[in-house]
Amino acid sequence: MEIAEKKKSSKTRIDYGIIDCDVHQTINSYEDLKPYMPRVWWDRLKEPGGTFPSLVWRPIPLTRRDASPGNGLLPGSDPEYAKKDFLDRYNISKGILTGSLLTISTHNNPDYAAAVATAFNDWTLDNWITHDDRWLASIVIATQDPILAAKEIDRLGSHPKVCQVVISPASSQPYGQRWFYPIYEAAVRNNLVIALHSGGEGEGINSPPISAVGQPTTNLERHNILPIHQMSQLNSIVCEGVFERFPTLKVVAVEGGLGWLPHLMWRMDKNYIAMRKEVPWLKRKPSEYIMDHYRFTTQPIEEPENFQEMIQMLKFMRAEKTVMFATDYPHWDNDDPKFVLNKLPEEMRRRVAYENAAELYQLNDIHSQ
Amino acid sequence: MTEVLKKEKPKYEVAKIGEIEVGGCKIVKVNGRSIGIYNDGEKYHAIRNVCPHEQAELCKGTFSGTTMPSKPHEYIYGMEGEVLLCPWHGWEFNINNGECLGDTRYKVKIYEVSVENNRIMVQM
Repeated sequence: MEIAEKKKSSKTRIDYGIIDCDVHQTINSYEDLKPYMPRVWWDRLKEPGGTFPSLVWRPIPLTRRDASPGNGLLPGSDPEYAKKDFLDRYNISKGILTGSLLTISTHNNPDYAAAVATAFNDWTLDNWITHDDRWLASIVIATQDPILAAKEIDRLGSHPKVCQVVISPASSQPYGQRWFYPIYEAAVRNNLVIALHSGGEGEGINSPPISAVGQPTTNLERHNILPIHQMSQLNSIVCEGVFERFPTLKVVAVEGGLGWLPHLMWRMDKNYIAMRKEVPWLKRKPSEYIMDHYRFTTQPIEEPENFQEMIQMLKFMRAEKTVMFATDYPHWDNDDPKFVLNKLPEEMRRRVAYENAAELYQLNDIHSQ
Repeated sequence: MTEVLKKEKPKYEVAKIGEIEVGGCKIVKVNGRSIGIYNDGEKYHAIRNVCPHEQAELCKGTFSGTTMPSKPHEYIYGMEGEVLLCPWHGWEFNINNGECLGDTRYKVKIYEVSVENNRIMVQM
């Protein structure tokens, strides 16, 4: 019997809301950003990839072929199509837009990178946020110059539909270091979450390679090891005391995998006992900061042969508090809400599908209008 | 003996000859089921339009070849036109037997196709 047919019998109804923490809206061409950018930068937009460097060859295209709005338009480029093909089809209560500028930290020119980020944010607010009340926006920033990044956060941070700042875990130095404080100060000042979403690892000015040991040969190898960047940034942010310095700061690891967290968390707690004297600013075990300040999104959910093993991992990482659902629509490795949520135990399912995100983004308080 | 007694499944017309270009795939609904009819240039294939992984519309993917099993760093391209890639996660299916190349536990249903009087017929 086919596996598809077996699954039908175990279907359950998801009768509460779903908040999707990772939806990608995109421009069709960098030239779409022209109206939002000073003339001085326009010539670069015509160049391949808007001059953002990339080595990646994808055996499977980044966006789903079956999610194109037609007329050669890119999946995720038409809010009207996305409303029907995504929000309505999956009955999504809120979709958090994370954009398509996640390689922005690769560029050598911090002013150009910041100008592209600003243009993309304005394009998103004009074209997507006004289109359907269910969308919420992340604003993207270029981390190359944290002062410019903070200005962008202050420029848009009070917009009622902006709920977080998105950056890539690809960087030239770990995010816990003081160089990045202006970004955290601005996020806290504007009551915004910081989301780390994969993009540009090992490319352009991001000198650490995709893996810790050098550049891999294939996209398979690259994709397998992407979570190492999330692990490295979480480790840095916690150990450097960012959550002591910014007690209201919240960070989300988006699309970075889940199962690695128990290992890293236990290792951090064990090592803390011995080496606490190096980090006297940490008042609690590293895992306690993670539980209070860090959140993780589901997609691409790990799929062990026996999913009960994954449930065990989710329990180890207190998923009922720390994990939030995401589809990654319309990217190639997106997850269908039913495919993921139906596998979870009832109590965990409700928390992951809706409540953890509603609490983090204060959706019932601020963004519900 | 059992062969003789076995009830023949009915045939349904899904397209006319010439309607589906070489390399093209027409998605049709037959008996309540969505099916992709693919023309590989020599014959027609009927494939269930549901990926056994996350139930995406499989036949909206692309038909292609792929790399065959080989030694490390040896590249042998084969199965040209015989592999259907799911538009979501890129899982590869052999259109001749429906098997997923990466994990043969997953299989998509394929149906018998015949051509009768310029009509493409699917038996299901």
